[in-house]
Amino acid sequence: MTKGDRMDFGVRDDDQLILDSLTGFAAEQLRPNLRAFEAARGVAPAVSATFGEMGFERLELPEQLGGAGLGMVTRVLTNIALAGADAGAALALDRLGPALYVLAAFGGESALERFAAPMLERPGARAVLIVDHQDRRISAGDRISGRNSWAPTDRADLVVGLGPSSAWVLEGPGRVEPVPGAALHAAGASRVAFEGNLAAAWTDATAAAAALAKVRLYVAALMVGVMEDAAEFSRDYAQGRLAFGQPIAHHQGLAFVIVDMFTAVAQARLLVEDAARRIEAGDDAVQASAAAFVECVEASRFVGPNGVQILGGHGFMRDYPVEKAMRDMRALGLMAGGLHRARDEAASHPDALSEAFAGVA
Amino acid sequence: MELKISPELHEQVLATREWGQTEVRPAGLEADRNAAPLPPEHPYFRKFIDSGRAKARAEGGDAPEGRMLRGVILGEEGAYWDRGMGVASPGAGFPSGAVNAGGTEEQKERFLGMFRDLATPMWASFALTEPGGGSDTAAFKTRAVRTDKGWVLNGAKCFIGNAARAEWILVQATLDPAKGRAGQRSFFVENGMPGLTGMRIEKKMGLRAYESVSFSLEDCEIPAENILGGETRKERAEGTGSSAYGATMASLNTARVGVAASALGVARAALDEARRFASESGSVRHSRVRDQIERVVRKLRAARLATLKAAWLVDQRRGNIIESSMAKIASAEIAQEAGMLGMEIVGLEAGAGDELIEKLFRDAKALNIVEGTGQIQRVIIARQLVGLPR
Repeated sequence: MTKGDRMDFGVRDDDQLILDSLTGFAAEQLRPNLRAFEAARGVAPAVSATFGEMGFERLELPEQLGGAGLGMVTRVLTNIALAGADAGAALALDRLGPALYVLAAFGGESALERFAAPMLERPGARAVLIVDHQDRRISAGDRISGRNSWAPTDRADLVVGLGPSSAWVLEGPGRVEPVPGAALHAAGASRVAFEGNLAAAWTDATAAAAALAKVRLYVAALMVGVMEDAAEFSRDYAQGRLAFGQPIAHHQGLAFVIVDMFTAVAQARLLVEDAARRIEAGDDAVQASAAAFVECVEASRFVGPNGVQILGGHGFMRDYPVEKAMRDMRALGLMAGGLHRARDEAASHPDALSEAFAGVA
Repeated sequence: MELKISPELHEQVLATREWGQTEVRPAGLEADRNAAPLPPEHPYFRKFIDSGRAKARAEGGDAPEGRMLRGVILGEEGAYWDRGMGVASPGAGFPSGAVNAGGTEEQKERFLGMFRDLATPMWASFALTEPGGGSDTAAFKTRAVRTDKGWVLNGAKCFIGNAARAEWILVQATLDPAKGRAGQRSFFVENGMPGLTGMRIEKKMGLRAYESVSFSLEDCEIPAENILGGETRKERAEGTGSSAYGATMASLNTARVGVAASALGVARAALDEARRFASESGSVRHSRVRDQIERVVRKLRAARLATLKAAWLVDQRRGNIIESSMAKIASAEIAQEAGMLGMEIVGLEAGAGDELIEKLFRDAKALNIVEGTGQIQRVIIARQLVGLPR
């Protein structure tokens, strides 16, 4: 490069330290309990406590509020790592979850101080984010009621709503009604009914777009983690399983599927990391985040079923994690407002920059 | 991840864009309409030299920091205007990398020196592919036999870029077919040497701006010193091959990354044409059209990131076998898809054959074939991922 170019696809040293610590935690505490947490519909309290003690609950909270003040790039890397072990546990452990982005985008630090920090002080408390497709014409103090069909949670101590150009906060427990759930059971599975007077309400289309961009990347990164795990697990299986005198991975029909799975995941990951980079750089990342989410959903619809397919009948059985991965990634794709809305927003910027670089240093 | 370029490189991109718009695209369209490469005496090539571009190419032999990333960014921009004209550019071009990497000092002076200060357009060429084998380079049949006077080459090559107008062709030949790739060496076959015969410029579907040539070597006698690296190279290469540096270099792939960058340029050109028509006709308001454009924008962005990453790994001297093949697959496939979609959106106007998108649609197909087809790239990746046997 000429002097002054700054191109780097590596991981920052600080992020690497966090990832090393988190990966160790996930390998020791989460992965071995994959099915136990699923059956229990929750993560063991001791594991959750350890996660909090290690500071991971407060990665993105400002330092003034006892957080680490880290940004979107760190978040997507940590979510990928956690979901590689168990996406349901990742959701359960990050008790504030993507609701943080809505509070921060609309209410700034004062909203985080008022709603987020106290919630984290209450053991086991969880925030639930409801992504509405229409704005509710409401103000702080107004009475609100509603119900969502499914959320991967077993508690709703703080309910945060995000509309196309508005947001609201409801304190006090929402009523959670357990449902069978399709996936992500370690985080719980509930219908959330909420009713009460709004603690806060805002209208700001720019803030809504910025918050939703982060919510999408949060979920997209979880999808990447599950996809990476499914691709690697099925690859390893295919190398050990013999058919017709050789590993099934050496039959080109399967080898090419495995290559295409890895390629799909790599592409999705690049888009997620790039969108997170744009957010940290202060660039407009609404289109890029929506596109990254769409790419993750499309990739998951290829990687998930093929991960099961490679294991054949075994893949269909709960003895192996690939059937869970297929369900988890499909369910994740329903979150953050879903695919169609993301595609609408990715496509509504037909002049999205198609330059070979993001900007001039 | 950081993706910022300096104002200086940005200036170079803009200069490439201006040159592309005013000179490269018209020249490429002219060649395409004539269904033949521009003749060596065409004014475009003189302008190319006068603009200093040939000199800049000749000076690219060393590997300054970040060279591959810079090459990808400028390569995409160049290919946007006409990928074929990029290959047709005068200079030592493609084989210069092999000569710089494996040639003796005397060979570098003798064969690359002539390109340093080009006064008139000149070309060099690199001949690998044979009629009976494209991707399976180990199966090549062109033979080189040592005689008292030098070497005698026999065989046939095909799809060789710029070979009919080249001052010399670097020909890959085998000394011992039983040794596969290990038995192969490269030889400088100079223009006019007896036995270099049967030059035939192929008629192509696309990328018509440069010569793709088939030729034969019939008892073609060349001097002993025309073997790349000299006769003792093999021993030296084996000596360095075991070093960490040698092993790392062997795992770097630059050619695939370069073709991926070209594919990005073709894809972006096709996307821009598709978007322009969709916007002008109003069809972009239909979600079916809009969503297909969105898909190409997204896949192109992902392919670009993959290509930049593969280039970054080269510049970092880190292995990039998987990444470069993934980038090649992604870029070539999205170029193809963008061309196909563009045809669809432009519709019957595209069928009439005089729209740029129709040319781009034809050009794009080649990029999923050259430098290892999409299938060969998958074989390469599968060897790394699952140990697919050779």
